[in-house]
Amino acid sequence: MSTITLYSVAYGLASLLLGALGSILPGAARAAVTNVDVVTGLGVLIFAAILLAASMLNTIVLIWWERKLLGRFMDRRGAMHVGYAGLLQNFADGFKLFRKDTVKPREADALGFFTGPAAYMVTSMIIFGVLPISTGWNSGALPLSLLLALAIFSFAPLFIFVSAWSSNNKYSLMGGMRSAAQMIAYEVPLLLAVVAVVIVSGSFSLTTIVYEQQNYWYWGPLFVALIVFVAAMLAEMERIPFDLPEAEAELVEGWNTEYGGMLFAFFMLADYLRALVGSILVVLLFLGGWTMPSWVPSAATSFPLAGIFWFMLKTYLVFGVFVWIRASLPRVRTDQLLRVGWNRMIPLSLLAVFLAAVLVTVKCVWPFGCVPSMGV
Amino acid sequence: MATPEANEEKPGENSILWVARPMATAARQFTKSLFRPSTIVYPYERLEDPKFRDRLEVASGKPFGVGEVWDNYRGVHALNIATCISCNLCAFSCPDICIDMVTVAGGDPKHPKKCPQIDYGKCSYCGFCSDACPEGCLTMTTRYELSTPKRSEMVYSPEKLYQVFRSKLPMNPIRLARPANEDAILLDPPLCIGCNACARDCPTNCITMLDVPKPEAKPGEKLPRRIWKEPVVNDSDCVRCGTCISVCPKECLFWGTRK
Amino acid sequence: MSEMWINMGPQHPMTHGLWNLRVKIDGEMILDVDPEMGYLHRGIEKISEDRHYNEVITLMDRCCYVAGLAWEHLYIIASEEALHLEAPERALYLRVLCEEFQRLASHLMWYAAFVQDIGLMSPFLYGMRDRDLILDLLQSYTGARMTYEYMRVGGVRSDLPPGFTDRTRKVLDWLNARFVEYDQLCLGSDIFHKRCDGLGILKANDCVAHGVTGPMLRSAGVPRDLRRDRPYAVYDQLEFDIAHADTADVTGRYLVRMEEMRQSLRILRQVVDWLDRHPGPVMADQLPRWLGAPYAPVGNEGYLLKRHYPKGLGFSAVEEPHGEAQAYVVNEGGEHPYRVKFRSPVFANISAARQYLIGYRVADIPPIMGSVDVCVGEVDR
Repeated sequence: MSTITLYSVAYGLASLLLGALGSILPGAARAAVTNVDVVTGLGVLIFAAILLAASMLNTIVLIWWERKLLGRFMDRRGAMHVGYAGLLQNFADGFKLFRKDTVKPREADALGFFTGPAAYMVTSMIIFGVLPISTGWNSGALPLSLLLALAIFSFAPLFIFVSAWSSNNKYSLMGGMRSAAQMIAYEVPLLLAVVAVVIVSGSFSLTTIVYEQQNYWYWGPLFVALIVFVAAMLAEMERIPFDLPEAEAELVEGWNTEYGGMLFAFFMLADYLRALVGSILVVLLFLGGWTMPSWVPSAATSFPLAGIFWFMLKTYLVFGVFVWIRASLPRVRTDQLLRVGWNRMIPLSLLAVFLAAVLVTVKCVWPFGCVPSMGV
Repeated sequence: MATPEANEEKPGENSILWVARPMATAARQFTKSLFRPSTIVYPYERLEDPKFRDRLEVASGKPFGVGEVWDNYRGVHALNIATCISCNLCAFSCPDICIDMVTVAGGDPKHPKKCPQIDYGKCSYCGFCSDACPEGCLTMTTRYELSTPKRSEMVYSPEKLYQVFRSKLPMNPIRLARPANEDAILLDPPLCIGCNACARDCPTNCITMLDVPKPEAKPGEKLPRRIWKEPVVNDSDCVRCGTCISVCPKECLFWGTRK
Repeated sequence: MSEMWINMGPQHPMTHGLWNLRVKIDGEMILDVDPEMGYLHRGIEKISEDRHYNEVITLMDRCCYVAGLAWEHLYIIASEEALHLEAPERALYLRVLCEEFQRLASHLMWYAAFVQDIGLMSPFLYGMRDRDLILDLLQSYTGARMTYEYMRVGGVRSDLPPGFTDRTRKVLDWLNARFVEYDQLCLGSDIFHKRCDGLGILKANDCVAHGVTGPMLRSAGVPRDLRRDRPYAVYDQLEFDIAHADTADVTGRYLVRMEEMRQSLRILRQVVDWLDRHPGPVMADQLPRWLGAPYAPVGNEGYLLKRHYPKGLGFSAVEEPHGEAQAYVVNEGGEHPYRVKFRSPVFANISAARQYLIGYRVADIPPIMGSVDVCVGEVDR
């Protein structure tokens, strides 16, 4: 096998484990454990475990990346103490939060209070199941993976609102309200910006969208769509300048005011998971995913796991832009945010859709090149 | 009163160009601090490190090193026990009442030598004690790290303060305040009983008891019962600590201007 | 949502201190506000009555934790008047140096906190970084970074260290360049204008009616500044302009404070030049010794009654970074002031909160209260 894929790793591990187990078991049991269905089942589990571990690890490294980058923007260093340049600081923080007591306010609703963070976390993690990372490193060529990813992505306001309301705190409630209003308002431009990409690529499958960008990446011709997408993504990820739901100046900590310990860590992690998903989506939709332009020397794209390398590099750079925005912009107000969302973003995204249609019609745009013949 | 209409969005602004100018400024700072941010990694690097004193252009063009001048810094006290005269002025002048005068070795048994013991749990580092010290034996150093797991270790005995003195840290310049003319110890002679308490307790031994002639008793009048001596203060040696006034049993010493 | 009261404080990121802003809201709209102060009351005025004149200075630093030297200056002027003492001219210039440094440090602190209130993160660090330079300068001649305890009745504690004025000029040049950066980050950003323009309007007549002073009053178009209108120390010998704006809103207060910082640089340059040319004593000659080192062992103060003390009254008004602070010191004879009374500018500024908060949104509270520049230490004293 020339390339390592996620499938090959997972199935290889599963057959290795079960083969070793079968070699020490008597006949009937050996037949049972080396059954191809059992191997496939264990392979799927290992597959999921790898995805889980990779997404969590990346999230934690992403937090480190944000802390260091934000530090440099602010003329300081960020975490320095635990590990080399503070690499292990987030693990230390995580263990600290893990050891802390979980306090539930007496008047809070236990069901919503505890299931909210868990559901928020889970829905954020499911998305990684449908995101392709490189050639062969995905969970199947789902024809509608983009739609599915965005559908799961937009579950979050519900759970935020549930946990905010059941916290029984006025600040939490206001934060939850803001969060719901904001996320619903920005779903529309987000999806419309994606529609522009879908029109040009002619597919809802993320893998196909990436391969459609072989002639040119979409960020150039679909620049308006990119701007709308990034702005809407900032609002969906609740980052400055759109972090009103947890605007700490007036709402203490917004909808997670009452959460502490591991539940807060869930929210924190899920926020960064969503930030990671947002960056990955920008890379997949507009920056050519794991592919590189043809002028890049082939030595830079043919080493083992080159696709994953370029993909992660792009993802972290995109997140770096989010951090840059966070470092330099103030927070807007709720009414301004909503007005911008409904009055500006939606017309702009409609314009992006129109431009995409024009692009598909005229086929070629200087200096980017032509739409591949398979488009539409 | 508020006019919410004033908040309404002004027409004609381009929402997309919101971000350009501040982001450019932040990026400029980023490039500046990419290699050498202004912060100092405290436990590993220290402000008093000569590295930060000598280099003028320290961090990202900052105009001077942060720890350049430390001479006036008010940190832990240094006490030179040898020159301390036990005058109590530091304890009197302490606004936080954190200085106790405790006995140290080296005095004679009847009049033990007392030196300041400082409770750093209460001290506010105002420096009044070192300003008041007439001999310049209590000064302040640049030591600023005092954290300790035990509260009792915050109390620095005179011996511990002497160790600080011997560690040769940079110390505040010593300023000896000049007493004013009007501050002299005066005597109210009719009240004095010549008990020698002031001369005994004077930290600088500037009080001598001189004989006064015993007057003739007039008929029918009784002379007061007293020792026929009176204190005389040597103003040039006196540090104006007021110990004599506070030990005087008859309150016959007081502050005044020497004629 | 129905109407509800929420408590913003005493533990809340908006308050910058320890006070409580009760807000009645309907959704996001503010219907009523009720500021509550007093959480940080330490009884400084009462404690002062039991302290020697110089020991009160330690309390002044705790009065306002960002502008301790301005409060020392305030108290020192009043108590010198009460004690009939005069400081040498160099000491007066040093005090002006202190106060202008303190104004810079306080305004930089305000800038850092204010941009944090509207969600800007980096300028917070920039402001604190540049404030640190001023604290370094203050440390090099006062000996401390926050609780300076530098001024004394009749002078100041110590003279400047060698090379101080050259370093000061470098810092002033550096700061002058940084202010451009600050303006780019705030005024250059349209979001900033969207957040701050037309917010928290308090017109000049309302300011006067509620005793609001300082940058809030100057932002309403009234160029009143005690440094010019009732000169103290040596301000009448220095050249500077009074910053004022006429929008009476948050942006106006921002502009006023930034311009005040520039004017402070201008004053500091003149003061530093003067200090270079005029060496001299920094303490008055022949001060009564009981001012420098009081002698009273606790509980044994009766003998002090035997001496002659001057009597007097002292009043001072100082343009503190937050507004007009006033002090009244009564000297009835004795080593302690008989009564010390302070007028805190921020107390009046917060008390008028109902005038400039009602009708705006909850998200407007942090920028508006940030533009007031609350320092609770002096509000509650």
